[in-house]
Amino acid sequence: MSDVKLTSVQKHYAGFHALKDIELSIEPGEFVVMVGPSGGGKSTLLKSIAGLEEISSGIIEIAGRDVTREEPGDRGIAMVFQSYALYPHMTVTENMGFGLKIMKRPKAEIDEAVRHASEILRITDYLDKKPAQLSGGQRQRVAIGPAITRRPHVFLFDEPLSNLDAALRTQMRVELATLHKSLGATMIYVTHDQVEAMTMADRIVVLRAGRIEQVGAPLELYRNPVNHFVASFLGAPRMNFVEGRVTALGAAATLEVPGLPPLTIPALRPDHGLTVGDAVTLGIRPEHLRANPGGTVVIAEATIRLAEQLGRETVLYADAGALRTTGSDTGTDNVTLLLGEGAPPAEGSTIRFGFDPADAYLFRSDGHTVSAPKSST
Amino acid sequence: MYPRQIPESRPASRLLYVTGVWAVLLLWLMPVFAIILTAFRTFEDVMAGNYWGWPTEINFRGNLTAVFTQTDMLDYFVNSLIITIPSTVLVLVLSTMTGYVLSRHRFAGATLIFSVFIAGNFLPQQVFMIPVRDLMVSLGLYDTFGALIIFHVAFQTGFATLFMRNFIAALPHELFQAARAEGASPWQILIQIVVPLVRPALAALAILLFTFIWNDYFWAIVLTQTDAVKPVTAGLANLRGEWVSSWNVVSAATLFVAIPPVVMFFLMQRHFVAGLTMGAVKG
Repeated sequence: MSDVKLTSVQKHYAGFHALKDIELSIEPGEFVVMVGPSGGGKSTLLKSIAGLEEISSGIIEIAGRDVTREEPGDRGIAMVFQSYALYPHMTVTENMGFGLKIMKRPKAEIDEAVRHASEILRITDYLDKKPAQLSGGQRQRVAIGPAITRRPHVFLFDEPLSNLDAALRTQMRVELATLHKSLGATMIYVTHDQVEAMTMADRIVVLRAGRIEQVGAPLELYRNPVNHFVASFLGAPRMNFVEGRVTALGAAATLEVPGLPPLTIPALRPDHGLTVGDAVTLGIRPEHLRANPGGTVVIAEATIRLAEQLGRETVLYADAGALRTTGSDTGTDNVTLLLGEGAPPAEGSTIRFGFDPADAYLFRSDGHTVSAPKSST
Repeated sequence: MYPRQIPESRPASRLLYVTGVWAVLLLWLMPVFAIILTAFRTFEDVMAGNYWGWPTEINFRGNLTAVFTQTDMLDYFVNSLIITIPSTVLVLVLSTMTGYVLSRHRFAGATLIFSVFIAGNFLPQQVFMIPVRDLMVSLGLYDTFGALIIFHVAFQTGFATLFMRNFIAALPHELFQAARAEGASPWQILIQIVVPLVRPALAALAILLFTFIWNDYFWAIVLTQTDAVKPVTAGLANLRGEWVSSWNVVSAATLFVAIPPVVMFFLMQRHFVAGLTMGAVKG
């Protein structure tokens, strides 16, 4: 039995189709992260599950119960907000016990729940303080408290870390993952940060324009994106995309790409639906572009425009002449390379680079991935 | 756009500015000053035309005693409290509720209802003097405390609703969502979240309402007739004699009447806490 089940959930508001036929089933204890660009519907979906937004049609089930028309308080959920949403006139203890007080639980039970939650969150030192007296990180931790005291079926997190600075975010990310393990509760987490998605999720749900693009384990999504959008959304630096044309088709597809020698994508999906002459997009992850390669690889040359040295690795942006990328992070048509440790080539110098066509992705003009799935290694 | 300090290097402008400030202040305080001075005078002093000079004899205690012994001011004062306190409390309660609903709940006709509340403020009160009087007469409430209380509650709630709606609308949206997600009913949200957070607004509104209602003279004379229900404002006017007025006694009574709004201000002052919602959201 799944813990959260969404069946053809639709939401319209003011002529805007915010959620389009959402089907999703979340297992008990799962940590599901919903990612997507802003306006993609991820927060709307989360609030719909919470019951803070009404859906136009469809069914929402939590713990096997149809809660579509129930009030948020009756759904067995607890929500943590991006902006903390702490009651400023109450102490930390009162904040954490508010939900239980509303449920008219005995005082002893509330005290015990608050004590338990504050130990888990390590906030026992400031239980008597008011939110204004706490730092951002402390507030964020306190904001999770009410959710824990309520012992919900499902925790809902709405971008809880986006107000924190980078160091604190990493720390809280680890703490949340630990919390998930120790509570074993079902968690649904919304973020626009793909690092959070990749590191925390059991499964990632990629949403765009109110539609689920793909659902799967983080590495599965990274390795086998179903379409151009998912491929471009996951991975930093972003995948290189270049336009090309199919010149021959068989079990493999031979492409003509400006700036590259003719190349052959060795394996296609059976339902690729391509015909000779079709415009396609070739995708290569920056880490699959190797400098000074040998062997049977597709080779090109480029002038280095910018080298971002990150210590462990170096990101190169290179002008490869006729080989022009589209939709890059940088907004230029430069090729992005990710090199490992070692002295990076100087800016302005020429670099030979290449890739194995088996590492590359092929996207049909409608965005669907048509290269065969990569085997997991 | 903010007042810029006049630089030290321009003494003439500074002098003009400071003089101006004092002139306006004096002009503003002149009537109050006159009343205070007069309250200290004897009747003979007033009769002799000594309006602005130093009192020839300090007779404040005598005047005050006269207020309590020779006039019904104490009764009027109690009447005023009976009218003002329930009216203020009722308006605060009603406007907190209307403001909460109008700022946080979307329903058909919400804008229309809000417009009606606001529009009421723009009508000159004199326009409905006769209808309101007739209404109270036919309700059997004319010349009772009820008439004044009902009228003040009805009339002040419009302005108070506008005031409270804007304050409640400014509270962080997430607090309401969080409370709802925790299972709080609209009533619980109102009592446990909204009211504590709008306390400064309620205090400010309480002062305004108390002062408006306490100082009302127009409706006091329109809706009351007998001394048993007259508030202080109407009572003060009663102190004027047909041929001669004891202005010294009237002034002392006036000072006495002015006390409650001032006391109210100091009582409410401690609720003016800035940044009550600090720490609710963001960092």
